Amino acid sequence: MPLTRRTLLSAGAALAGVAAVGGWSFWQGRGQSPLLLSARNDDAGQHYCAGYFLDGKQAFATPVRERCHDITRHPFLPLALFVGRRPSRESYLIDLRDGTLVQTLHSEPQRHFYGHAVFHRQGEWLYATENDLSDPGRGVLGRYRLDLDALRLVRDGEVPTHGVGPHQLKWMPDGESLVIANGGIRTESDSREKMNLDAMAPSLVIMDRHGERFSKETPEHRQNSIRHLAVADDGTVVSGQQYQGPAWDSVPLLAIKRPGQPYQTFPVATEQLAMMNQYTASIAIHSEQRLVAMTAPRANRFFVWDLDTAETVVDTPMSDCAGVGVVPSGFAVTSGQGRCRHFDCRGATVTSEWLDLPSGWWDNHLWLS
Amino acid sequence: MRSAIVLGCVVLLAACSNPRQEVTSQLAQQVLLPAHQQWHDRNAALVQAVKGFCEGDAERASVAQAFMASQQGWSYLQPLMVGPLSEGNRSWQVQFYPDKRNMVAQQAEALLDSHDPLTQQALDGASVVVQGLTAFEYVLFDDSVDLQADKARYCPMLMGIAHHQQGLSGEVMALWEEAGGMLAQLTDFPNDRYASAEEALGGVLRVQITGVDVLKKKLGTPMGRLNQGVAQPYQAEAWRSRQSVASLQASLAGAQAVWERVRSLVSDGELAGKIDQAYAETRDKLEALPAPLFELVQDPANQPLLQDLYRSLDTLETLQQAELASDLGIQIGFNANDGD
Repeated sequence: MPLTRRTLLSAGAALAGVAAVGGWSFWQGRGQSPLLLSARNDDAGQHYCAGYFLDGKQAFATPVRERCHDITRHPFLPLALFVGRRPSRESYLIDLRDGTLVQTLHSEPQRHFYGHAVFHRQGEWLYATENDLSDPGRGVLGRYRLDLDALRLVRDGEVPTHGVGPHQLKWMPDGESLVIANGGIRTESDSREKMNLDAMAPSLVIMDRHGERFSKETPEHRQNSIRHLAVADDGTVVSGQQYQGPAWDSVPLLAIKRPGQPYQTFPVATEQLAMMNQYTASIAIHSEQRLVAMTAPRANRFFVWDLDTAETVVDTPMSDCAGVGVVPSGFAVTSGQGRCRHFDCRGATVTSEWLDLPSGWWDNHLWLS
Repeated sequence: MRSAIVLGCVVLLAACSNPRQEVTSQLAQQVLLPAHQQWHDRNAALVQAVKGFCEGDAERASVAQAFMASQQGWSYLQPLMVGPLSEGNRSWQVQFYPDKRNMVAQQAEALLDSHDPLTQQALDGASVVVQGLTAFEYVLFDDSVDLQADKARYCPMLMGIAHHQQGLSGEVMALWEEAGGMLAQLTDFPNDRYASAEEALGGVLRVQITGVDVLKKKLGTPMGRLNQGVAQPYQAEAWRSRQSVASLQASLAGAQAVWERVRSLVSDGELAGKIDQAYAETRDKLEALPAPLFELVQDPANQPLLQDLYRSLDTLETLQQAELASDLGIQIGFNANDGD
């Protein structure tokens, strides 16, 4: 089907109920397994915006110029933005029906993307964390409007993220306020070099999408860069940190902000912290099962804990484990170097199986719908 | 933990049906596990040597000899370090290197000042900086320490470190040999760590190839390659005992032991020959070094010799990282090395 505004909106109308009932139901209703969206590479180093069904069937693999990081799906149109990885100045709007590249979204001249963005629930606005290169490290929340006539995202403005080096952002349950992980690290144009490791300023900020700040909290250790987030249906926020201090230090790498409570350490075992190599990647919360999952690719380790008691549910080796996403039964996990896995956490015994997805080269985040 | 993970929908393959599984199994049983056992045995010998010196009449030289054996056992292991030893910050407990700010000397003395005498409990609860072979080497070889005259102060640290190392290697051995442990995970597939022998072999080779890169850093850093050409002799590994070259040799031997098992899988005979030659040349150049690295790097006249050795290591690394990985279809790294 050729890509036109009419066909896209038609597909969007057919998908209009999906936002309400959840993507899983939609794909199951069509007899297909969930669609996994992720940035991926191939052996030759080519970057792709990839869509695979969890049963292993490829939906699309669209080659793109720059490596992407996270993905955000439009709430009802068959579109997703694959967000350029720091310090990329490009992100890619993809038609999910066949992988067509609808738009290459360029950052403003004095901005680059940090790899994360979110569509607003009403579908008109998109928000992306960006670096202000005229004041390197100053975090801004870029605002883009989806022009349905032109099928393009158009830059509309920006507000501060109230911190340095923002990374992941997530909607709070009201769908109007955002939680933002300001990593605290200053990087400069076209560089991944960290410039301020002795003067880092990480923070967890909750603000509305227009920029008004509701709270700003900091981790106990100044060199603990807050990077990744997950939000439960009840508003519980879990963050994953990447510690920039000595490799042998024992520093909390997960933190939690329960509704009405201060941001504080999520109490995992010291032995588990030692297994993480000071680096956490992707976080996911299963609100129904009250579980939080986390990948630690540098330690080749995947964890799941009880969100309320912090009891360990899964602690298993998994080579270069990358993105983690929620499926009704538990979690699906991709890998940068090995096979992807599915963990069924419904019973008293967690079961695991390998997925028939291509092995390796998956980037650190995924979107399941 | 709520429960052990049960693997679902698995198909066990016959061990003999897959050359890569055979090689991986051989590597585990004939190279990796014996290397860990050797390291553990040498740690046990280190404990005995310290006892002989601190509680008996044995000479300091016997402790030095046992230390060098432990150090080389550890160096041999580094390119083979898959599984438990590479996890849980254990490797930092074996050796604190690089020690850019001379933390070992400062923290060892501070710990000894604050505990008279030092207890095993205090050492086991202290920083990794003082728990390993680098701190042991400081006590044994540093010019500022008069060990013979001050046994009362320093022997508890030697004994504490030796016991800590023995406990650590014993723990690692148990994690290898227990039911479903590392040895089983490298021989029976699929398992909780690896989906297939191919994945396991990839894991072993990634560590081995990274190990060769580490050798370049261990040579290049004291040469001054990261310091605008100005030599940094105190950044050489095991500089106090002048064991830098012996450590490099042991690590190269460990890497070569892996290569010799993997060679049969290589389809390109010419490539296999080139890698054989690269190992031989690097080994010969290391053997031909006329003095400890600590001294060599301080005389500019030795730069051509050291640069030549560095080039050999670089050639070996390139052959393995690019051509061998490509020949075997092994992916070297992605998020684990370059995440965000």
